[in-house]
Amino acid sequence: MRWVDLKDSLKSFWSSYRRQKAGMLGLILLLLLIFVAIAAPWLTSPNVPKVWQVGNPLAPRNAPPTWINAFSHYKQSPHEVISLSNYFVGENKSMGYTIYKFKIQYPFKYDYPPKDIVFTGLNSTAQNPTEAPTMSMIIERPHEPGVKTEEMRIFSDVQIPAGAVIQVASLPAAKASVLVWLAENGVYKLNIPPGVPPDMISYLIMQNQTLFGYMSSMDIMWVIFQRIVDEKGHLYPLHDVLFHQTPRALEGTYTLYVTIKAPSNVKVDYSNAKLIMVGRTYGFMGTDQMGRDIWADLVWGVRVSLYIGLAVAITSVLVGVLYGVTSAYLGGWADEALQRFNEFMASMPIFPILILLGMYFGGHITINLLIGLLVLFGWMGTAKVARSMALQIKEQTYIEAAKALGASTWRVVFRHIVPQLLPYAFASIAISVPGAILSEAGLSFLGLGDPTAVTWGQMLNAAQQNNATLNGYWWQVLPPGLAIALVGFVFVLIGVSLDTVLNPKLKRS
Amino acid sequence: MGFGRYLTYRLVNAAIVLFFVVLLTSVLFVKLYDVQMVNVINSQVQMEWMHYQKTHPGSGVNGTEWMARRTEALYHKYGLDRPYWERVWILTKNTLKFDFGNMQIQIFGTYSAAKAIWMALPKTILLFTTATMVTILLGILLGVKSAQNPGSLLDRTISVLAMLTTSLPMWWLGMLFILIFVVELGWLPVNLYATVAVNSWGDLLLKMTLPLLTIVTVSFGGWAWIIRNIMIGTLQEDYILVARAKGVPERKVIYGHALRASAPPIVTMVIFALLGSMSGAIITEVVFNWPGMGRLYWTAITQNAVNLVVGLTYIFTLLYLLSMILADLMYAWLDPRVKVGASTIV
Repeated sequence: MRWVDLKDSLKSFWSSYRRQKAGMLGLILLLLLIFVAIAAPWLTSPNVPKVWQVGNPLAPRNAPPTWINAFSHYKQSPHEVISLSNYFVGENKSMGYTIYKFKIQYPFKYDYPPKDIVFTGLNSTAQNPTEAPTMSMIIERPHEPGVKTEEMRIFSDVQIPAGAVIQVASLPAAKASVLVWLAENGVYKLNIPPGVPPDMISYLIMQNQTLFGYMSSMDIMWVIFQRIVDEKGHLYPLHDVLFHQTPRALEGTYTLYVTIKAPSNVKVDYSNAKLIMVGRTYGFMGTDQMGRDIWADLVWGVRVSLYIGLAVAITSVLVGVLYGVTSAYLGGWADEALQRFNEFMASMPIFPILILLGMYFGGHITINLLIGLLVLFGWMGTAKVARSMALQIKEQTYIEAAKALGASTWRVVFRHIVPQLLPYAFASIAISVPGAILSEAGLSFLGLGDPTAVTWGQMLNAAQQNNATLNGYWWQVLPPGLAIALVGFVFVLIGVSLDTVLNPKLKRS
Repeated sequence: MGFGRYLTYRLVNAAIVLFFVVLLTSVLFVKLYDVQMVNVINSQVQMEWMHYQKTHPGSGVNGTEWMARRTEALYHKYGLDRPYWERVWILTKNTLKFDFGNMQIQIFGTYSAAKAIWMALPKTILLFTTATMVTILLGILLGVKSAQNPGSLLDRTISVLAMLTTSLPMWWLGMLFILIFVVELGWLPVNLYATVAVNSWGDLLLKMTLPLLTIVTVSFGGWAWIIRNIMIGTLQEDYILVARAKGVPERKVIYGHALRASAPPIVTMVIFALLGSMSGAIITEVVFNWPGMGRLYWTAITQNAVNLVVGLTYIFTLLYLLSMILADLMYAWLDPRVKVGASTIV
């Protein structure tokens, strides 16, 4: 078979393949998947594999996707990352300090407040802890009739060493400040001697047994984002406010005043500083128990799945074709021996053996090892068909002619027999991709896969560990399975169409 | 090759495969075994020494020496001092004799690996024979129907369904069904699937509904498709034409003549399809906390129960090989023309 012949046969193959609607659909979807696999770092973010291992502590856990708000009576606040540098309003210097001011408008129109307000990413040239910048935050709530002061001090002068993360929801100073604010508005009575500085007030609150108890159990985010006055203009009792028994969320625009104070000789870099409204819903597909973005993991999963599927399918079909052709070409006792070995391998139960090996390798099979094992147990079917096809080709007169002309064994096999098997090989590659992906998913689901790889099987394993089904975290269960099914479907479409084109007998009668 | 000789050949082949799988298992696991047993023996000796010190105060015995002697004795008792290959051979022999030894922890309420497996096996068989029967019934009905009208709506639906379900992880569909029927609709109680233990036979049957639905949903499309393809070929045969021409009722033509003639390849294909779904089935049991062999596998993996994994692999291999032989025998039995391993054709 010459190159021109190959080109011709490819051409005629393509012209009949493109008439297969299902096959073309599969091909388009496959190209799309390959694009997604290549573009994954740009479509999501390049550090997804790292986040996969350590989780994302700044994102909510087990948060449903944001769009469920459209289908729900209750609107839950979404996850929002606010870049501080966009809200810089000015700086001034006084008494050897530089003060940077930021003003952020946060339109709040939900029934459930954020889970937390987190500040992170501030860098400075501070050499020792005493030079570290400090931060204060004041939230101005929307107007609510019957409330005296809308301005709510959250915390003042909290030190921010390099790499520090401030989480308002678990900051005792913030809880104390909010309790002071409630007292100022008359929700309860707190005896503060006049002229006591704010720091001391927190201290007073911590001395009070009841208030100290409230502090450890109260939900500060609810206090910030809810009404404290009912429809008739009466203040709610303290217990109700702290544990959101009756009050509703206070909708409107909240203004966050953030000030960062640092000694003038210290340079503050706030270009990466972020204020994160940790949502009750997250992004397009929600998060899992480690705060990982399911959408990002799903996109990255395309990479590994396609890699495993294609690597296993191509290698095992190649091995199978070569094995079958060799067997057919050699004939005699060698053929017999190779066939017996094929039967021997074919009667091995693959999955239990893979489980066994997974346990032997310390509970985890790395991706490349898994590919090797799946190839080791995956070539037998192809070899059988390739052998019987090669046996037919072997009897053709042109093979005899080639031999008579003195062609070597290698030449006959690779120039005359193998090219004829190529169409069949392509079809069986396409058909065996889903099986490889399913095997990986199954092993990973059992916890025997590669924990460093972001795969759909690993995602479902995480879902199972999280008891996602019985907890009703459907957003964790649905996407990976659908993705596996989609990739499988794509290859089945292509495989069946190839088969139809190459074996006209199978066409629908 | 006569039928008897062929059967012997298949049996010998199966025995060789079984032997090699068990040997491989033993080769791999004697090492893991060692690590586990050394830990167990060390902690046991420590305990014994503490007990000895309490009961024999001031005896002046050297602790290190005493413990070393005791460790050696225990090594000898458990055979850890024997050469590696000898122990591989012993493990292989014991496994082949269904003697899987005792586990370090209690699984399914017992320390004996063999007992745990015998307890799980009937549950697996119950689930999968039921599922298989339902699937066969549905598969034959739908497959035959669509073979009668190729290109009809039913036929196309079945083709698409077969394509969709072959690439679907069976166990994922199980998770989906739990979400739908247990969590969202609340038709079945949550605690039925939250734990492995089942209180009564009634509960067991109730618990079986969802895994059954899962397996049947995933399998029947593919089977119907196989049966359709084989039946289409058979329905074009001359004897079907003759049967119709001489006025045999259509029902009898289909189920009496065509289906009977297509039975051998159908049976073998179905058995192979069943074997192919084994991995999915193992994990499906995990998803539903079904007290069968698959769930036992999961427990063995997570609890690192080495000899249980060895035993389970052995039993799975055994069942797998038996089914393959059964496929061959059924083929020979159903097809009067072929009395020898014709299933190798499929």
